[in-house]
Amino acid sequence: MTEVDETLIAHMSNPQNYGAIAVPDAMGIGENPENGEKVIITLRVTKQGETPVIEDIKFQAIGCMTTVVAGSIITGEAKGIDFPTTQQLIAATMGMLENVPPEEAACSEMVALSLQAAIDTYGHKQKDPNFGTITYKIENSCVAEEKQ
Amino acid sequence: MKTVLIKTHELWLETLMAGFMSQGESRITLYDFSDIIFRHFTWLEHYMIEQGKSYDYDRDIIPIKVDNLGVILNNINRRISELSLQIMACSDDNLAQRISSDLKYISATLAKMNNAPVSAFDSSRMLNGITLSQEATDALTLFLFEESYKEYELIMIYNYLQAHSSDAFLNRIFQIMIDESKFHLRSFGQMMAEMGILGVPRTIHKSLYQIEDVKKFLRDGIEEEIAAKEMCKELSDAVAKDSTELAAFFDFINFQEDYHISLMTEALVHYEGLENHG
Repeated sequence: MTEVDETLIAHMSNPQNYGAIAVPDAMGIGENPENGEKVIITLRVTKQGETPVIEDIKFQAIGCMTTVVAGSIITGEAKGIDFPTTQQLIAATMGMLENVPPEEAACSEMVALSLQAAIDTYGHKQKDPNFGTITYKIENSCVAEEKQ
Repeated sequence: MKTVLIKTHELWLETLMAGFMSQGESRITLYDFSDIIFRHFTWLEHYMIEQGKSYDYDRDIIPIKVDNLGVILNNINRRISELSLQIMACSDDNLAQRISSDLKYISATLAKMNNAPVSAFDSSRMLNGITLSQEATDALTLFLFEESYKEYELIMIYNYLQAHSSDAFLNRIFQIMIDESKFHLRSFGQMMAEMGILGVPRTIHKSLYQIEDVKKFLRDGIEEEIAAKEMCKELSDAVAKDSTELAAFFDFINFQEDYHISLMTEALVHYEGLENHG
């Protein structure tokens, strides 16, 4: 059972960065092929020299509250950082997945992959402004294995 | 008019939230007003459909965190003032007049409503007269956040389906599902306010209500209702040793899901029949 504290309640009652940027510089989707749950991230990007920086980020979740909490935390950390640091954030999130229950791992992976999809989409759009939206599918299963 | 629809959607939720955080007569009045405003929303939606105008259920964030009821009542009245001006853009004079008349009365009544302190955001996580274990409190907290959103989502999905259907058989089912979800949302919202963890449900993504495959939605929905029954049972078991009253409430919600499953099955069979005869 997840322990509930003030921080978790704050993320559940008022998730950070929830919604969509009206005219985003890039969009990315993380999807769970098992049940169709999705996280959609939109970005507004500026550049510091040649390095892209996430000026604003919003997410929407078609999924459970655990996904919303993961989205609130990860987008909160991603806002204002440059792409190389964002890659480190994604790698750190993916690295932690082995240590969390499978249903929570699936939710966090979906958020991390939607962020990866958004920054990859941004890269493609720099070469082709008509490039669409990248969707990455998660590998973790959302369904917890039955306890023996 | 799209803005009027969005602002009416926000007004409905803000009034409902004010109902959750209030007590006694004020609560009943605010619930009645929120129901009236929801009906305005459905009329405006129907008007948009008749006019062939595109619309969706997007909306802005609704700030509700207040220390006393008077603040949110003032906010609601400010929103009503803006809406009363915006509704004049509606080309259906009768509709605009009907809504304006309701809003005028609602605004005057809210202005006279008694102020009171609000404890809906104090994170006490205590229900009046019931002492739960930490584990049961955590389980109840997670359930309320998950399910209050789910009920809001269902209200909007069935409302959208109803708005786009002229089939009397299906619309009867959709209306029952809307009413049931409204009751559940009200029950869960009141508990959240009492526990000091009230929050506005997040916005719904378009793909959830602009449904391309209704039969798949119903089949998935039946599976979700079965899962919800299990969640209610687990919660009932978790709180049973501390409160038979609360356990009985979650058993009641659990058994209501059986009726929802029956209705959704009926709707599914009806859709399949329409396809076979279409």
